Amino acid sequence: MLELQPKPQFSVVVPPKLLQEGYLVTFSSDWPSTHNAIREKTFRIDVCNQVPFDRSFILPTGAAGTIYRDVDFSNGSGTFQESIYPENQSSLFEVLLGFKPGNFLSHWYIPASKSVHQLEYAGMYPDITDNTKKYLGARQPKDSPYDDPRIKLYLVKDLAPLIMRLYVLPGVDYEKIVCGLTVNKCLMRIIEAPTDDQLLKAKVIRYYDYLRW
Amino acid sequence: MPSLVVTAHTDAQTIAAERENAVVLLKSLTIDNQRGNTDNEIIIQDSFTPSAYYGTPSPGAQVIERFKVQAVQGDMITLNEQDLKGVKCLGAMLVDSDNIDADCDITVGYEHEE
Repeated sequence: MLELQPKPQFSVVVPPKLLQEGYLVTFSSDWPSTHNAIREKTFRIDVCNQVPFDRSFILPTGAAGTIYRDVDFSNGSGTFQESIYPENQSSLFEVLLGFKPGNFLSHWYIPASKSVHQLEYAGMYPDITDNTKKYLGARQPKDSPYDDPRIKLYLVKDLAPLIMRLYVLPGVDYEKIVCGLTVNKCLMRIIEAPTDDQLLKAKVIRYYDYLRW
Repeated sequence: MPSLVVTAHTDAQTIAAERENAVVLLKSLTIDNQRGNTDNEIIIQDSFTPSAYYGTPSPGAQVIERFKVQAVQGDMITLNEQDLKGVKCLGAMLVDSDNIDADCDITVGYEHEE
């Protein structure tokens, strides 16, 4: 059989996963006054630099939920601090995070004691000491694979510590948790008076509290 | 796939070093004990130090047995990828034996899983 493939009527363009040079970002009004330098301001990305960074942790299983590792992305010399926050006001770090397969869960907190993923009914809060609620709000490796990461973080100077709690599921003695990070370092330049068109095109970066209404 | 030949020894010998962002998979194992002087038990070990975790800032080093096989004197054992499926080391891969036997050759094929 001979077949002539018809010319496609349209093509699908997949937008880049990361911010690119020339892109616009706007920080919404829900950012607190401690972030006045960026709050309600629009910036153009002048330079981007992607920095890959693999981190791994070998942890024992913790059936009772008492064994876990808190990965603190903020800057410092503490045992659990990863120091990948920006140090300059004009820097925005866009971070992609993916996991290699394994028997573990991750829970997310910002600031340290406040879960990002909780429901509204009393007690419906992620809890790794509880057999049921350890899965509430948990991100598993399949949710953000190493080769196709889907967890994205936006970090600015002096942002509250973002914590990823890693917990190895029962049934294995130890597990190696490999996290693939790509830190997209973006140098921002402020646009003093953005036009309506620029505001419409800009990616809105909201303060983390909007996830907890 | 890299491989390494060692002879049976009671001191564990390193086959593959630990790599931060990968585990080591055991891909093939051949134990040639045809010229060997005794029966030898061959053990694949996983050697690593866990990361710090809540309440334990400095966990102790661990050596865990991941695979064990008895090679009878005069025998040769060949195990392929299918036989060894699921045997992985989180840290360094070591091979150990219950005897010192310079005439028992152990060939280990391995791979760091990226």
